[in-house]
Amino acid sequence: MSKTAETTSLYQRQEKIYPREISGRFNRLRVIAAWILLGLFYVVAWIQIDGQQIVLFDLPARKFYVFGLTFWPQDFLFLAILLIIAAFCLFFFTALAGRLWCGYACPQTVWTEVFVALERFAEGNRMQRMKLDKAPMSGQKFRRKFTKQFLWVTFSLWTGFTFVGYFTPIRELAVAIAQFETGPWETFWVLFYGLATYGNAGYLREQVCKYMCPYARFQSAMFDADTLVISYDPERGEKRGKRARKANLEDLGLGDCIDCSWCVQVCPTGIDIRDGLQYDCIACGACIDACDQIMDKMNYPRGLIKYTTQHAIEKKPSRILRPRIFIYLGLLTVLCIGFALGVGGRDPLITDVIRDRNALYRVNNERVENTYTLSLINKTDDTQRYVISVQEPGYEVRTWPKIEVPGGAVQRVPVTISRAVDEVSGAYNIHFIIDSADAEANSEPLSVEPSRFFAPE
Amino acid sequence: MSIPSQHNNNDAIVPPPRPLVQRLGAILWPAFLLAGLGSMILFGLYDPVTLAELLDPPLVISRHAGYALGFFCLWAMTTASSYLTWVLLRPSARFKAPK
Repeated sequence: MSKTAETTSLYQRQEKIYPREISGRFNRLRVIAAWILLGLFYVVAWIQIDGQQIVLFDLPARKFYVFGLTFWPQDFLFLAILLIIAAFCLFFFTALAGRLWCGYACPQTVWTEVFVALERFAEGNRMQRMKLDKAPMSGQKFRRKFTKQFLWVTFSLWTGFTFVGYFTPIRELAVAIAQFETGPWETFWVLFYGLATYGNAGYLREQVCKYMCPYARFQSAMFDADTLVISYDPERGEKRGKRARKANLEDLGLGDCIDCSWCVQVCPTGIDIRDGLQYDCIACGACIDACDQIMDKMNYPRGLIKYTTQHAIEKKPSRILRPRIFIYLGLLTVLCIGFALGVGGRDPLITDVIRDRNALYRVNNERVENTYTLSLINKTDDTQRYVISVQEPGYEVRTWPKIEVPGGAVQRVPVTISRAVDEVSGAYNIHFIIDSADAEANSEPLSVEPSRFFAPE
Repeated sequence: MSIPSQHNNNDAIVPPPRPLVQRLGAILWPAFLLAGLGSMILFGLYDPVTLAELLDPPLVISRHAGYALGFFCLWAMTTASSYLTWVLLRPSARFKAPK
Protein backbone atom coordinates (compact mmCIF):
# COMPACT_ATOMS: atom_id res chain seq x y z
CA MET A 1 0.00 0.00 0.00
CA SER A 2 1.41 3.35 -0.96
CA LYS A 3 1.93 6.11 1.56
CA THR A 4 -0.82 8.31 0.17
CA ALA A 5 -3.32 5.50 0.30
CA GLU A 6 -2.47 4.88 3.95
CA THR A 7 -2.82 8.54 4.79
CA THR A 8 -6.15 9.00 3.08
CA SER A 9 -7.60 5.90 4.67
CA LEU A 10 -7.08 7.57 8.03
CA TYR A 11 -9.71 10.15 7.26
CA GLN A 12 -13.48 9.97 7.31
CA ARG A 13 -14.57 9.26 3.80
CA GLN A 14 -16.79 11.79 2.11
CA GLU A 15 -19.56 9.86 0.41
CA LYS A 16 -20.65 11.40 -2.87
CA ILE A 17 -24.27 12.47 -2.73
CA TYR A 18 -26.54 11.84 -5.68
CA PRO A 19 -29.63 13.93 -4.94
CA ARG A 20 -32.79 12.44 -6.41
CA GLU A 21 -34.83 14.84 -8.53
CA ILE A 22 -38.20 15.79 -7.11
CA SER A 23 -41.08 18.03 -8.12
CA GLY A 24 -43.49 19.81 -5.84
CA ARG A 25 -44.36 23.11 -4.19
CA PHE A 26 -40.99 23.84 -2.66
CA ASN A 27 -39.05 22.70 -5.68
CA ARG A 28 -41.13 25.09 -7.77
CA LEU A 29 -40.36 27.93 -5.35
CA ARG A 30 -36.67 27.09 -5.46
CA VAL A 31 -36.62 27.03 -9.25
CA ILE A 32 -38.42 30.38 -9.39
CA ALA A 33 -35.98 31.89 -6.89
CA ALA A 34 -33.02 30.56 -8.85
CA TRP A 35 -34.34 31.95 -12.14
CA ILE A 36 -34.97 35.37 -10.63
CA LEU A 37 -31.63 35.60 -8.82
CA LEU A 38 -29.48 34.20 -11.61
CA GLY A 39 -31.50 36.15 -14.17
CA LEU A 40 -30.74 39.35 -12.27
CA PHE A 41 -27.07 38.44 -11.97
CA TYR A 42 -26.54 37.60 -15.64
CA VAL A 43 -28.82 40.26 -17.14
CA VAL A 44 -28.43 43.40 -15.00
CA ALA A 45 -24.75 43.75 -15.95
CA TRP A 46 -25.83 44.31 -19.56
CA ILE A 47 -28.44 46.97 -18.94
CA GLN A 48 -27.42 50.52 -19.76
CA ILE A 49 -29.25 53.79 -19.32
CA ASP A 50 -27.90 56.80 -21.24
CA GLY A 51 -24.75 54.86 -22.01
CA GLN A 52 -24.12 54.14 -18.33
CA GLN A 53 -24.15 50.55 -17.06
CA ILE A 54 -26.83 50.69 -14.35
CA VAL A 55 -24.87 48.61 -11.85
CA LEU A 56 -21.14 49.12 -12.05
CA PHE A 57 -18.67 49.08 -9.20
CA ASP A 58 -16.03 51.07 -11.01
CA LEU A 59 -13.04 50.29 -8.83
CA PRO A 60 -10.40 51.99 -11.03
CA ALA A 61 -12.39 55.23 -10.84
CA ARG A 62 -13.44 54.61 -7.22
CA LYS A 63 -17.09 55.23 -8.04
CA PHE A 64 -20.08 52.93 -7.68
CA TYR A 65 -23.03 53.34 -10.03
CA VAL A 66 -26.14 51.66 -8.64
CA PHE A 67 -29.48 52.13 -10.38
CA GLY A 68 -29.00 55.78 -11.24
CA LEU A 69 -27.19 56.71 -8.02
CA THR A 70 -23.48 57.39 -7.89
CA PHE A 71 -21.57 56.49 -4.74
CA TRP A 72 -18.18 57.90 -3.78
CA PRO A 73 -15.59 56.82 -1.25
CA GLN A 74 -17.04 59.63 0.90
CA ASP A 75 -20.31 57.70 0.96
CA PHE A 76 -18.64 54.83 2.77
CA LEU A 77 -21.12 55.22 5.63
CA PHE A 78 -23.91 54.05 3.34
CA LEU A 79 -22.05 50.86 2.57
CA ALA A 80 -21.71 50.24 6.29
CA ILE A 81 -25.45 50.85 6.80
CA LEU A 82 -26.21 48.54 3.88
CA LEU A 83 -24.15 45.78 5.50
CA ILE A 84 -25.99 46.30 8.80
CA ILE A 85 -29.33 46.14 6.95
CA ALA A 86 -28.21 42.89 5.31
CA ALA A 87 -27.28 41.45 8.71
CA PHE A 88 -30.64 42.42 10.20
CA CYS A 89 -32.46 40.90 7.22
CA LEU A 90 -30.63 37.66 7.95
CA PHE A 91 -31.64 37.81 11.64
CA PHE A 92 -35.22 38.61 10.74
CA PHE A 93 -35.73 35.90 8.16
CA THR A 94 -33.87 33.32 10.22
CA ALA A 95 -36.00 34.01 13.29
CA LEU A 96 -39.14 33.90 11.14
CA ALA A 97 -38.63 30.83 9.00
CA GLY A 98 -35.21 29.36 9.64
CA ARG A 99 -32.74 29.01 6.87
CA LEU A 100 -34.67 30.63 4.03
CA TRP A 101 -31.38 32.12 2.91
CA CYS A 102 -29.71 28.71 2.64
CA GLY A 103 -32.54 27.00 0.83
CA TYR A 104 -33.47 29.66 -1.69
CA ALA A 105 -31.06 32.56 -1.98
CA CYS A 106 -27.51 31.51 -1.06
CA PRO A 107 -25.25 31.62 -4.14
CA GLN A 108 -23.85 28.25 -3.07
CA THR A 109 -27.33 26.67 -3.25
CA VAL A 110 -28.41 28.47 -6.40
CA TRP A 111 -25.29 27.66 -8.41
CA THR A 112 -25.22 24.11 -7.09
CA GLU A 113 -28.76 23.67 -8.41
CA VAL A 114 -27.67 24.84 -11.85
CA PHE A 115 -24.67 22.50 -11.81
CA VAL A 116 -26.84 19.57 -10.71
CA ALA A 117 -29.28 20.40 -13.51
CA LEU A 118 -26.45 20.45 -16.06
CA GLU A 119 -25.17 17.17 -14.61
CA ARG A 120 -28.63 15.64 -14.93
CA PHE A 121 -28.84 16.84 -18.51
CA ALA A 122 -25.50 15.22 -19.40
CA GLU A 123 -25.54 12.12 -17.21
CA GLY A 124 -29.19 11.34 -16.58
CA ASN A 125 -31.18 10.88 -13.39
CA ARG A 126 -29.98 9.69 -9.99
CA MET A 127 -29.91 5.96 -10.81
CA GLN A 128 -28.25 6.59 -14.17
CA ARG A 129 -25.60 8.78 -12.56
CA MET A 130 -24.82 6.21 -9.87
CA LYS A 131 -24.55 3.50 -12.49
CA LEU A 132 -22.41 5.65 -14.72
CA ASP A 133 -19.93 6.38 -11.92
CA LYS A 134 -19.62 2.68 -11.07
CA ALA A 135 -19.23 1.64 -14.71
CA PRO A 136 -15.76 1.26 -16.26
CA MET A 137 -14.65 3.97 -18.68
CA SER A 138 -16.25 3.54 -22.06
CA GLY A 139 -16.93 5.67 -25.10
CA GLN A 140 -20.38 6.48 -23.83
CA LYS A 141 -19.21 7.29 -20.30
CA PHE A 142 -16.48 9.50 -21.67
CA ARG A 143 -18.94 11.32 -23.89
CA ARG A 144 -21.32 11.97 -20.99
CA LYS A 145 -18.58 13.08 -18.63
CA PHE A 146 -17.08 15.27 -21.33
CA THR A 147 -20.44 16.91 -22.04
CA LYS A 148 -20.90 17.62 -18.34
CA GLN A 149 -17.41 19.10 -17.98
CA PHE A 150 -17.88 21.18 -21.10
CA LEU A 151 -21.17 22.61 -19.77
CA TRP A 152 -19.73 23.20 -16.30
CA VAL A 153 -16.58 24.91 -17.54
CA THR A 154 -18.45 27.10 -20.03
CA PHE A 155 -21.00 28.12 -17.43
CA SER A 156 -18.24 28.82 -14.87
CA LEU A 157 -16.28 31.01 -17.27
CA TRP A 158 -19.44 32.89 -18.21
CA THR A 159 -20.10 33.40 -14.51
CA GLY A 160 -16.56 34.67 -13.92
CA PHE A 161 -16.89 37.00 -16.89
CA THR A 162 -20.22 38.37 -15.65
CA PHE A 163 -18.78 38.86 -12.17
CA VAL A 164 -15.86 40.90 -13.47
CA GLY A 165 -18.38 42.73 -15.68
CA TYR A 166 -19.73 44.36 -12.52
CA PHE A 167 -16.32 45.92 -11.88
CA THR A 168 -15.18 46.67 -15.42
CA PRO A 169 -17.75 47.88 -17.98
CA ILE A 170 -19.04 44.55 -19.30
CA ARG A 171 -19.42 45.59 -22.94
CA GLU A 172 -15.83 46.75 -23.13
CA LEU A 173 -14.77 43.60 -21.33
CA ALA A 174 -16.65 41.44 -23.84
CA VAL A 175 -14.91 43.17 -26.72
CA ALA A 176 -11.54 42.82 -24.98
CA ILE A 177 -12.12 39.11 -24.41
CA ALA A 178 -13.18 38.58 -28.00
CA GLN A 179 -9.90 40.18 -29.11
CA PHE A 180 -7.79 38.46 -26.40
CA GLU A 181 -6.81 41.86 -25.04
CA THR A 182 -7.98 41.73 -21.43
CA GLY A 183 -5.74 43.19 -18.77
CA PRO A 184 -3.84 40.76 -16.52
CA TRP A 185 -6.04 41.43 -13.48
CA GLU A 186 -9.28 41.08 -15.39
CA THR A 187 -8.12 37.76 -16.84
CA PHE A 188 -7.04 36.64 -13.41
CA TRP A 189 -10.36 37.48 -11.72
CA VAL A 190 -12.43 35.92 -14.50
CA LEU A 191 -10.48 32.69 -14.05
CA PHE A 192 -10.41 32.94 -10.25
CA TYR A 193 -14.14 33.45 -9.95
CA GLY A 194 -14.83 30.87 -12.66
CA LEU A 195 -12.70 28.32 -10.82
CA ALA A 196 -14.38 29.12 -7.50
CA THR A 197 -17.80 28.58 -9.12
CA TYR A 198 -16.67 25.32 -10.74
CA GLY A 199 -15.16 23.92 -7.56
CA ASN A 200 -17.87 25.07 -5.15
CA ALA A 201 -20.94 24.25 -7.23
CA GLY A 202 -19.54 21.25 -9.12
CA TYR A 203 -17.63 19.38 -6.44
CA LEU A 204 -17.77 20.80 -2.91
CA ARG A 205 -21.54 21.42 -2.94
CA GLU A 206 -23.08 20.46 0.41
CA GLN A 207 -19.62 20.26 1.99
CA VAL A 208 -19.46 24.06 1.79
CA CYS A 209 -22.60 24.23 3.92
CA LYS A 210 -21.49 21.51 6.31
CA TYR A 211 -17.83 22.32 6.84
CA MET A 212 -17.15 25.82 5.60
CA CYS A 213 -20.18 27.96 6.26
CA PRO A 214 -20.11 29.96 9.50
CA TYR A 215 -23.80 30.86 9.20
CA ALA A 216 -24.78 27.20 9.34
CA ARG A 217 -23.13 26.98 12.73
CA PHE A 218 -24.42 30.10 14.40
CA GLN A 219 -27.89 30.26 12.89
CA SER A 220 -29.14 28.19 15.84
CA ALA A 221 -28.55 31.27 18.00
CA MET A 222 -31.24 33.08 15.96
CA PHE A 223 -33.70 30.20 16.28
CA ASP A 224 -36.22 29.79 19.02
CA ALA A 225 -39.06 27.36 19.63
CA ASP A 226 -41.39 29.45 17.46
CA THR A 227 -39.17 29.54 14.39
CA LEU A 228 -40.55 27.73 11.36
CA VAL A 229 -38.33 24.76 10.65
CA ILE A 230 -38.64 21.72 8.42
CA SER A 231 -39.52 18.89 10.68
CA TYR A 232 -40.68 15.30 10.69
CA ASP A 233 -43.58 14.52 12.98
CA PRO A 234 -42.32 11.46 14.88
CA GLU A 235 -45.53 11.07 16.84
CA ARG A 236 -47.44 10.57 13.61
CA GLY A 237 -44.71 8.77 11.68
CA GLU A 238 -43.44 6.21 14.17
CA LYS A 239 -43.19 3.35 14.25
CA ARG A 240 -42.05 3.47 10.66
CA GLY A 241 -42.17 0.46 8.40
CA LYS A 242 -43.22 -1.02 5.09
CA ARG A 243 -46.82 -1.99 4.61
CA ALA A 244 -49.38 -2.65 1.93
CA ARG A 245 -51.42 0.37 0.85
CA LYS A 246 -54.62 -0.97 2.33
CA ALA A 247 -53.08 -2.35 5.52
CA ASN A 248 -54.64 -1.46 8.84
CA LEU A 249 -52.03 0.54 10.73
CA GLU A 250 -53.42 -0.21 14.15
CA ASP A 251 -53.21 -3.96 13.59
CA LEU A 252 -49.61 -3.61 12.47
CA GLY A 253 -48.75 -1.07 15.15
CA LEU A 254 -47.25 1.25 12.55
CA GLY A 255 -47.23 5.03 12.11
CA ASP A 256 -47.59 6.91 8.82
CA CYS A 257 -43.92 6.72 7.75
CA ILE A 258 -43.56 3.91 5.24
CA ASP A 259 -39.77 4.11 5.44
CA CYS A 260 -39.41 4.58 1.67
CA SER A 261 -36.29 6.76 2.27
CA TRP A 262 -37.31 9.23 -0.41
CA CYS A 263 -36.73 12.10 2.01
CA VAL A 264 -33.14 10.93 2.34
CA GLN A 265 -32.61 10.35 -1.38
CA VAL A 266 -33.75 13.82 -2.38
CA CYS A 267 -31.70 15.59 0.29
CA PRO A 268 -28.88 17.63 -1.26
CA THR A 269 -26.87 17.34 1.96
CA GLY A 270 -27.61 13.66 2.39
CA ILE A 271 -29.21 13.77 5.84
CA ASP A 272 -32.22 11.98 7.29
CA ILE A 273 -34.66 14.66 8.43
CA ARG A 274 -36.37 12.04 10.60
CA ASP A 275 -33.38 12.23 12.95
CA GLY A 276 -34.50 15.73 13.96
CA LEU A 277 -33.23 19.24 13.25
CA GLN A 278 -29.59 19.17 12.14
CA TYR A 279 -27.15 21.90 11.23
CA ASP A 280 -26.58 20.13 7.89
CA CYS A 281 -30.17 20.90 6.86
CA ILE A 282 -30.27 23.83 4.45
CA ALA A 283 -34.08 23.99 4.60
CA CYS A 284 -34.60 23.52 0.87
CA GLY A 285 -37.88 21.65 1.39
CA ALA A 286 -37.05 18.80 -1.02
CA CYS A 287 -37.96 16.24 1.64
CA ILE A 288 -41.37 17.89 2.12
CA ASP A 289 -42.08 17.58 -1.60
CA ALA A 290 -40.93 13.95 -1.59
CA CYS A 291 -42.93 12.98 1.47
CA ASP A 292 -46.07 14.77 0.23
CA GLN A 293 -45.95 12.71 -2.96
CA ILE A 294 -45.67 9.49 -1.02
CA MET A 295 -48.46 10.49 1.37
CA ASP A 296 -50.69 11.23 -1.66
CA LYS A 297 -49.92 7.82 -3.11
CA MET A 298 -50.72 6.15 0.18
CA ASN A 299 -53.88 8.24 0.63
CA TYR A 300 -52.54 9.55 3.93
CA PRO A 301 -52.85 13.24 4.79
CA ARG A 302 -49.89 15.39 3.74
CA GLY A 303 -47.55 16.99 6.22
CA LEU A 304 -45.64 14.13 7.82
CA ILE A 305 -42.66 16.32 7.02
CA LYS A 306 -43.56 20.00 6.99
CA TYR A 307 -42.69 23.54 7.95
CA THR A 308 -43.66 23.80 11.59
CA THR A 309 -42.32 25.06 14.90
CA GLN A 310 -40.76 23.27 17.83
CA HIS A 311 -43.69 24.34 20.00
CA ALA A 312 -46.26 23.06 17.50
CA ILE A 313 -44.61 19.64 17.39
CA GLU A 314 -44.65 19.52 21.17
CA LYS A 315 -48.35 20.46 20.99
CA LYS A 316 -47.70 23.70 22.86
CA PRO A 317 -49.17 27.03 21.78
CA SER A 318 -47.00 28.50 19.05
CA ARG A 319 -46.92 32.08 17.85
CA ILE A 320 -45.02 33.00 14.73
CA LEU A 321 -45.67 36.74 15.07
CA ARG A 322 -43.88 37.27 18.36
CA PRO A 323 -42.06 40.27 19.90
CA ARG A 324 -38.72 39.19 18.48
CA ILE A 325 -40.08 39.39 14.93
CA PHE A 326 -41.53 42.85 15.49
CA ILE A 327 -38.32 44.15 17.06
CA TYR A 328 -36.25 42.98 14.09
CA LEU A 329 -38.85 44.35 11.70
CA GLY A 330 -38.90 47.71 13.50
CA LEU A 331 -35.11 48.02 13.45
CA LEU A 332 -35.04 47.05 9.78
CA THR A 333 -37.65 49.66 8.91
CA VAL A 334 -35.77 52.40 10.79
CA LEU A 335 -32.49 51.45 9.09
CA CYS A 336 -34.06 51.34 5.63
CA ILE A 337 -35.78 54.71 6.06
CA GLY A 338 -32.56 56.21 7.41
CA PHE A 339 -30.66 54.79 4.46
CA ALA A 340 -33.16 56.15 1.93
CA LEU A 341 -33.21 59.60 3.53
CA GLY A 342 -29.44 59.65 3.79
CA VAL A 343 -28.93 58.65 0.17
CA GLY A 344 -31.57 61.10 -1.01
CA GLY A 345 -30.12 63.98 0.97
CA ARG A 346 -26.48 63.60 -0.01
CA ASP A 347 -24.58 66.82 -0.75
CA PRO A 348 -24.27 67.41 -4.49
CA LEU A 349 -20.86 69.02 -3.91
CA ILE A 350 -17.94 68.15 -1.68
CA THR A 351 -15.35 70.79 -1.01
CA ASP A 352 -11.93 70.47 0.54
CA VAL A 353 -9.88 73.58 1.33
CA ILE A 354 -6.11 73.16 1.41
CA ARG A 355 -3.95 76.11 2.44
CA ASP A 356 -0.73 76.79 0.55
CA ARG A 357 1.91 75.11 2.70
CA ASN A 358 4.87 77.19 1.48
CA ALA A 359 3.95 80.63 2.74
CA LEU A 360 1.45 81.84 5.32
CA TYR A 361 0.98 85.11 3.45
CA ARG A 362 2.55 87.32 0.82
CA VAL A 363 2.43 91.13 0.65
CA ASN A 364 1.95 92.43 -2.84
CA ASN A 365 0.95 95.96 -3.94
CA GLU A 366 -0.05 96.97 -0.40
CA ARG A 367 -2.29 93.90 -0.12
CA VAL A 368 -1.89 90.76 2.00
CA GLU A 369 -2.46 87.64 -0.07
CA ASN A 370 -3.20 84.06 1.08
CA THR A 371 -3.28 81.17 -1.38
CA TYR A 372 -5.50 78.09 -1.19
CA THR A 373 -6.38 75.12 -3.31
CA LEU A 374 -10.05 74.21 -3.32
CA SER A 375 -10.77 70.68 -4.34
CA LEU A 376 -14.31 70.52 -5.71
CA ILE A 377 -16.02 67.15 -6.21
CA ASN A 378 -19.13 67.41 -8.34
CA LYS A 379 -21.25 64.51 -7.18
CA THR A 380 -24.03 65.09 -9.68
CA ASP A 381 -24.00 63.48 -13.11
CA ASP A 382 -24.02 66.76 -15.07
CA THR A 383 -21.41 69.47 -15.61
CA GLN A 384 -21.77 72.24 -13.03
CA ARG A 385 -20.48 75.84 -12.90
CA TYR A 386 -19.51 77.20 -9.54
CA VAL A 387 -18.71 80.60 -8.05
CA ILE A 388 -16.42 81.00 -5.07
CA SER A 389 -16.72 83.84 -2.59
CA VAL A 390 -15.78 84.63 1.01
CA GLN A 391 -18.52 85.11 3.56
CA GLU A 392 -16.70 87.79 5.58
CA PRO A 393 -16.72 91.30 4.04
CA GLY A 394 -13.60 93.09 2.86
CA TYR A 395 -11.85 90.20 1.11
CA GLU A 396 -11.09 90.17 -2.58
CA VAL A 397 -11.23 86.75 -4.26
CA ARG A 398 -9.07 85.98 -7.28
CA THR A 399 -9.53 82.71 -9.12
CA TRP A 400 -10.36 81.29 -12.54
CA PRO A 401 -12.96 83.34 -14.37
CA LYS A 402 -15.06 80.26 -15.03
CA ILE A 403 -15.06 77.21 -12.77
CA GLU A 404 -16.63 74.27 -14.54
CA VAL A 405 -16.54 70.71 -13.19
CA PRO A 406 -17.85 67.81 -15.28
CA GLY A 407 -20.34 65.42 -13.68
CA GLY A 408 -18.65 63.05 -11.26
CA ALA A 409 -15.25 64.74 -11.58
CA VAL A 410 -12.82 66.30 -9.13
CA GLN A 411 -11.37 69.73 -9.89
CA ARG A 412 -8.58 71.46 -7.99
CA VAL A 413 -9.02 75.23 -8.17
CA PRO A 414 -6.29 77.65 -7.03
CA VAL A 415 -7.78 80.60 -5.14
CA THR A 416 -6.03 83.73 -3.85
CA ILE A 417 -7.78 86.05 -1.43
CA SER A 418 -6.45 89.39 -0.31
CA ARG A 419 -7.07 92.41 1.91
CA ALA A 420 -5.44 95.83 2.18
CA VAL A 421 -2.33 95.55 4.36
CA ASP A 422 -3.36 98.32 6.76
CA GLU A 423 -6.71 96.64 7.53
CA VAL A 424 -5.35 93.41 9.00
CA SER A 425 -2.90 91.93 11.47
CA GLY A 426 -2.73 88.40 12.88
CA ALA A 427 -5.05 85.53 12.02
CA TYR A 428 -8.71 85.53 11.00
CA ASN A 429 -11.38 82.86 10.63
CA ILE A 430 -12.95 82.95 7.21
CA HIS A 431 -15.54 80.90 5.34
CA PHE A 432 -15.45 80.00 1.67
CA ILE A 433 -18.85 79.91 0.04
CA ILE A 434 -19.16 77.74 -3.01
CA ASP A 435 -22.39 78.01 -4.91
CA SER A 436 -23.77 77.09 -8.26
CA ALA A 437 -23.26 79.82 -10.88
CA ASP A 438 -26.96 79.77 -11.71
CA ALA A 439 -28.22 79.64 -8.14
CA GLU A 440 -30.99 82.01 -7.23
CA ALA A 441 -30.09 84.92 -4.98
CA ASN A 442 -30.48 84.35 -1.22
CA SER A 443 -30.72 80.58 -1.67
CA GLU A 444 -28.81 78.26 0.65
CA PRO A 445 -25.25 77.93 -0.73
CA LEU A 446 -24.07 74.48 -1.85
CA SER A 447 -21.12 74.42 0.48
CA VAL A 448 -19.58 76.55 3.24
CA GLU A 449 -16.03 75.64 4.24
CA PRO A 450 -14.12 77.24 7.12
CA SER A 451 -10.47 78.22 6.80
CA ARG A 452 -7.93 80.73 8.16
CA PHE A 453 -6.50 83.96 6.77
CA PHE A 454 -3.08 85.13 7.96
CA ALA A 455 -1.59 88.60 7.90
CA PRO A 456 1.65 90.07 9.37
CA GLU A 457 1.41 90.89 13.11
CA MET B 1 -14.18 3.17 5.25
CA SER B 2 -14.43 4.86 8.60
CA ILE B 3 -11.74 4.57 11.20
CA PRO B 4 -12.35 4.09 14.90
CA SER B 5 -12.05 7.14 17.10
CA GLN B 6 -8.89 7.37 19.13
CA HIS B 7 -8.89 7.69 22.90
CA ASN B 8 -6.56 9.99 24.75
CA ASN B 9 -5.11 9.40 28.19
CA ASN B 10 -8.21 10.65 29.94
CA ASP B 11 -10.23 8.30 27.82
CA ALA B 12 -12.02 11.15 26.12
CA ILE B 13 -12.95 10.45 22.54
CA VAL B 14 -10.77 12.10 19.92
CA PRO B 15 -12.57 12.37 16.60
CA PRO B 16 -10.67 11.23 13.51
CA PRO B 17 -9.06 14.00 11.46
CA ARG B 18 -11.11 15.71 8.78
CA PRO B 19 -10.29 15.17 5.10
CA LEU B 20 -7.88 17.68 3.59
CA VAL B 21 -10.52 19.48 1.53
CA GLN B 22 -12.63 20.10 4.64
CA ARG B 23 -9.68 21.42 6.59
CA LEU B 24 -8.65 23.67 3.72
CA GLY B 25 -12.21 24.85 3.31
CA ALA B 26 -12.71 25.60 6.98
CA ILE B 27 -9.48 27.62 7.05
CA LEU B 28 -9.58 29.39 3.68
CA TRP B 29 -13.26 30.22 3.39
CA PRO B 30 -13.86 32.20 6.61
CA ALA B 31 -10.50 33.89 5.94
CA PHE B 32 -11.77 34.80 2.46
CA LEU B 33 -14.97 36.31 3.87
CA LEU B 34 -13.14 38.43 6.40
CA ALA B 35 -10.49 39.48 3.89
CA GLY B 36 -13.31 40.60 1.58
CA LEU B 37 -14.93 42.62 4.35
CA GLY B 38 -11.54 44.02 5.37
CA SER B 39 -10.76 45.06 1.79
CA MET B 40 -14.09 46.81 1.52
CA ILE B 41 -13.43 48.83 4.65
CA LEU B 42 -9.75 49.51 3.91
CA PHE B 43 -10.27 50.58 0.30
CA GLY B 44 -13.49 52.39 1.10
CA LEU B 45 -11.44 54.67 3.32
CA TYR B 46 -8.15 54.77 1.43
CA ASP B 47 -7.21 54.73 -2.20
CA PRO B 48 -4.77 51.84 -2.86
CA VAL B 49 -2.75 54.06 -5.20
CA THR B 50 -2.22 56.59 -2.39
CA LEU B 51 -1.38 53.82 0.08
CA ALA B 52 1.23 52.40 -2.28
CA GLU B 53 2.80 55.84 -2.67
CA LEU B 54 3.25 56.04 1.11
CA LEU B 55 5.51 52.99 1.08
CA ASP B 56 9.24 53.49 1.34
CA PRO B 57 10.34 53.36 -1.45
CA PRO B 58 7.03 54.43 -2.98
CA LEU B 59 5.34 51.84 -5.15
CA VAL B 60 3.69 52.94 -8.37
CA ILE B 61 0.87 50.55 -9.22
CA SER B 62 -2.49 50.63 -10.93
CA ARG B 63 -5.67 50.62 -8.84
CA HIS B 64 -6.53 47.16 -10.20
CA ALA B 65 -3.23 45.81 -8.96
CA GLY B 66 -3.61 47.70 -5.68
CA TYR B 67 -7.01 46.22 -4.93
CA ALA B 68 -5.88 42.71 -5.83
CA LEU B 69 -2.63 42.90 -3.85
CA GLY B 70 -4.41 44.40 -0.87
CA PHE B 71 -7.04 41.71 -0.94
CA PHE B 72 -4.51 38.88 -1.18
CA CYS B 73 -2.34 40.35 1.60
CA LEU B 74 -5.39 40.52 3.85
CA TRP B 75 -6.42 37.01 2.81
CA ALA B 76 -2.94 35.72 3.64
CA MET B 77 -3.14 37.32 7.09
CA THR B 78 -6.64 36.04 7.89
CA THR B 79 -5.65 32.60 6.58
CA ALA B 80 -2.62 32.60 8.89
CA SER B 81 -4.90 33.42 11.80
CA SER B 82 -7.38 30.67 10.92
CA TYR B 83 -4.51 28.22 10.44
CA LEU B 84 -3.02 28.99 13.84
CA THR B 85 -6.41 28.53 15.49
CA TRP B 86 -6.68 25.14 13.80
CA VAL B 87 -3.19 24.17 14.95
CA LEU B 88 -4.00 25.14 18.53
CA LEU B 89 -7.29 23.26 18.54
CA ARG B 90 -5.92 19.95 17.32
CA PRO B 91 -6.41 17.30 19.99
CA SER B 92 -3.05 16.59 21.60
CA ALA B 93 -3.83 12.89 21.81
CA ARG B 94 -3.28 12.65 18.08
CA PHE B 95 0.40 13.41 18.60
CA LYS B 96 1.11 11.60 21.87
CA ALA B 97 1.61 7.90 22.18
CA PRO B 98 -0.88 6.36 24.62
CA LYS B 99 0.63 5.58 28.03
